[in-house]
Parts: sequence; C-alpha cells; structure tokens
Amino acid sequence: MHDPKPLYIDQLFPVQRLAAYAKGAPVDRLPCVPIVGNTAARILGVKVSALRNNGKILADAHIASYRRFGYDNIRVFTDLYTIAEGMGAKVRVPEDETAFLGEPAIQDVSGIANLKPVDPYSDGVLPHHLEAIERVVQEVGDEVPVTAALTGPFTNASFLIGAVTLSRFVLKDPATVHKLCKLSLESALAYAEAIFAAGGTPSLTDAMSSSTVISPKQFEEFSFPYLKILVDYIHSKSKPVTLHICGKTSPIWDKMADTGADCLSIDNDADLLEAKKKIGHRVRLMGNVHPSAIMLQGSRQDIRREVFKCVLAAHDNPCGFVLASGCSLPTETPLQNIDAMLDAVREIGYPVAVEDLDAQ
Amino acid sequence: MNEQTEQLYFTALSDAVLNMEEDTAINIAHKVIAEKIDAYRAIERGLVDGMNRAGKFFEDEEYFIPEILLCSDAMYAGLNILNPHINREHQRSRIKIIIAVVEGDTHDIGKNLVKTLLDAAGFEVIDLGRDVPPSKIVDIAIIEQADAIALSTLMTTTMDGMSEVIQLLQQRGQRESFQVIVGGGPISQGFADRIGADGYAPNAPAAIKLLNKLFGKNTYA
Repeated sequence: MHDPKPLYIDQLFPVQRLAAYAKGAPVDRLPCVPIVGNTAARILGVKVSALRNNGKILADAHIASYRRFGYDNIRVFTDLYTIAEGMGAKVRVPEDETAFLGEPAIQDVSGIANLKPVDPYSDGVLPHHLEAIERVVQEVGDEVPVTAALTGPFTNASFLIGAVTLSRFVLKDPATVHKLCKLSLESALAYAEAIFAAGGTPSLTDAMSSSTVISPKQFEEFSFPYLKILVDYIHSKSKPVTLHICGKTSPIWDKMADTGADCLSIDNDADLLEAKKKIGHRVRLMGNVHPSAIMLQGSRQDIRREVFKCVLAAHDNPCGFVLASGCSLPTETPLQNIDAMLDAVREIGYPVAVEDLDAQ
Repeated sequence: MNEQTEQLYFTALSDAVLNMEEDTAINIAHKVIAEKIDAYRAIERGLVDGMNRAGKFFEDEEYFIPEILLCSDAMYAGLNILNPHINREHQRSRIKIIIAVVEGDTHDIGKNLVKTLLDAAGFEVIDLGRDVPPSKIVDIAIIEQADAIALSTLMTTTMDGMSEVIQLLQQRGQRESFQVIVGGGPISQGFADRIGADGYAPNAPAAIKLLNKLFGKNTYA
C-alpha cells in the first residue's frame, strides 16, 4: 500500500528538547524512548554477546542505534546481571541472545559471609560497561543524556541467592533478605559512583519489586528503603533519575514516587491514564507501548495506533510524559518498528492536538 | 470415625496450607494416617482445598509469590506423607501435563506456580524444569503419552523456543496428540495464535482455568 506519510524531522537535539520540555518552553515533539537494549547489536551488525565484555563495541552499538533512531536517551545496558555477576553469580552468555542467570552467587545462607560488594573497576564486565559509558558520553554526550542501567538492590539480591529462595526468605528469614539487599545496595552505590565518574547517570531498574511478585507491604519493607538511598545519592549529584519496575505496579505507585524518583517508567500491565490521575502531579511518567505484542510483533499501523493511545492518555501529565516502550525491547524488534514509534511521536508533534488523536 | 470428626482433620489440613504452616500440615497428615482416615479424601478436601483457597487469595492480590511458595511447601509436605497411602484406583488416568520453561530461560517462579496449582487441581504433572531444549520437551511428551504441554518463558529472547516445540510436533506428525498452552511475561494471545498454540494464559490461575476448559472441566482422562 502506498504510504503518503510526509517526513517528520527533529528540530532539536534530545538534551535541548528535554531541557525545554522541562521548563514548559516550546519543543518539536514529546520526548520518546524506545528502550533499546541488545537490539543495538543489530544496528552495528555484531552478535549480542560481542557487546557485553567490550566497551568499545558496546559504545559503538549504542551510538549507532541512537543515530539511527534519534531517541531521547541512551541507556547502556546488556542484561540485569552485571552487578550480581561481579559478586559471584554465574551468567550464561549465548552467542547471539541476551545473557541470563545460570547460577546465583550463593546456594544458602552460609554463603553470605563470602559475599563482598563489587569493585566496578575490576569485577565482572562492569569495567567494560564503564568504558562504554565514557565513550558514549565523549561521542554524543552533548546531544543526548547518557544513562546506565543500575539493577535495584532487591532484584540484585534475588540473583545472589535465587529468586525462589529470596521469595521464601521474605516471609521466613527477613533478616537475611535485608543482609543481601544491603550488600546489593553497597554494590549499587559503588557502581553508581563509577557511572557518574564516567560521565553518565544511573537509571534504576527493579524487576522483582513488581506487585506481580511481592506485596506492596513487602515492597515497602524490602525494596523501598534501598531504592530511596540510591535516589538520594543520585540527587546529591544534581541529576534526575528514572525508576523502572516491570509488571503490575499500580499498588506501589505512591511509594515509587516517595523514593523521590523524577520519572516512573511503567510497564504495559499498568494503565497510563490511571497513573496520571494518581501520581502525575508528583512524577513524570514514561511508557508504555507493549514491547512484544506491539513493538516486536505489531505492524507500523499497530505501533502508530498504540503510540496515539498512550499520548492521548498521558500527554497532559502535570509532571510531564515520555512516550516509551513498557519495558526493554526484545532484541529482534524490527528496526522499522522502532522507526515507526519515533515517527508517530514526530507526527503528533507538540503541543499535542487532542482532537487529532481522538479522530484516529 | 464419623464424618464430622474427619472434616475437622480436613479443615485443619486446608488451614495449614492456607496459613503457610508446613509443620502443622505434616503433623496433621501423620494423624490422618494414624486415624486411618482415607488419604485421598484428606488430600482433596484438605491440602488441595487449602491450595485452592490460596490460589483465590493470589488472584485477589491478598497473597503474592512469597505466600504462594510457602503454601505450596505446606501442601507438598502433606502430600509426601499422604500420597503413599492413596488407594490404587485414584492413582490412574488423570490428565497428564508436561510443563517446562523453554531453553535459554532460567526464570521458573511462574512455571512452579502453575505446576503447584495443576497438582492441586488434580492434574498429573511432569515438571521438566527450566532451560529445557524443545526437542527434549517433545521427546518426553511423546514417551509419556501426555495430554498437554504447558510452556512458560519470562524473557522475550526465548519466545521462539515455544514455536519450535510446535513445529517439532508437526514434523513428527504428533501435533494433534497434545494441547499446547503458553504463558509468561512477554507472551500474548496474539503470539499464541501466531505460533499455533491451543491456548494462552496470562497468569497461573488462568492457566488452570484454560486447561479445565480445554479438557472439559474434567481432570480425569
């Protein structure tokens, strides 16, 4: 079918756009972040495993991906396990797929004595990631914010002893959970400091804190205090921070905002309109096009429709809105689908004309 | 022993599961045996009833993964004691389900949850664990003459393994022998349709309802 779509071209660099948007000054379009992870390998034409332990390739992939799509935030990320790996967890690295946890760092409580917080300059692949951050900042840091994924302490704790064991301990042995979270927090703080030293900003991601996994009360006890310390630390460097929690999160939105995070990235299990009503006056919202059902499998039209739906729901969020995927994109997300997301946001432009969106 | 007294034991077992009290479940299970109460009924009306109540709590978001894990610990502790005492007639011809997390994914909380609820719902479950190659899933399903295959993944990177299972079944001319259902974080109904699965469930209780529907609400073959 012939597509008469005109070309929409960005007028601003991401840093300009975000700064203007934050002040309520005119911008060319809403900020847009398809959360690109290992798809970056596809842009550079390398295997996924090539990114993880090579700072130059990881940097080149993310720079190439940013240049190709023009999105508003680079996030240096390969998988959630880099800190846990630095603390002794075994990570399995398929040649051309995302790495995954092979074995937790310890098998039982007795192993805790041997756990130490990471040294980001020597442990696991962290030095490579720091090198990548430094290179990306050097190359495009004046155009686009450069962040690095920092796994939340509760989630990291699950990689240290295993998610099932940690879940049981939440009820049976809370003291051990706190010990593992504290160790994870120390690691996270050390890595955060190193991320700043490399010129980047940490971006928090905390899958296990989801209300799909633990109760709001358990979140408050085992996850919130540690996230808050991390947010406070990032703020002490005068930087804003985004907090992403996967899956269902509506029962903990208030608490997520209480961490002080500037932006909450919510998954497709959550409703943007409801989020706007409940916490939109406190935090910026980011979300939430379905990463697999729409971004991986959808057509250009599906993506346009979903982008319009999200923008309609949250463009007038009092603390601002970033159109994004609900979670990291699957590696094999078609590149033209990522283009389609950006194009839809460009087509909408700014200020958003609600009647045009409604008519779609 | 009269029915009323028996029911006290069943209720105690059910409560032990719901309240996550593994030791209580073990103690009462021993008493059930000592009192010569029918083990099968104690499982059905006690342990399974408790797990069903826990599943309802999970659906209603009163219980979360940690609670359900401890409920299932209590259920299995009781089952270990009662199972050897079940009459033979109850041990046969249940709907047999192969469950696995596909290769490349080591997340198995969701799969374990489905397995627990399947056990509680009376299905016979063969758990192949996590990170399982598609060919192994198909081999075992055929050898075991299973009725259904339930596949789970949490990661978008491993979704393709699900469609590989279905393709392998087709290649071997065995596709019609099994109901194949899929679930997990990145999976959607659209994905299930696309790979030709027989059903999709967004969470563990829904997986049980789906299988009940596929097999006409009857867990016995």
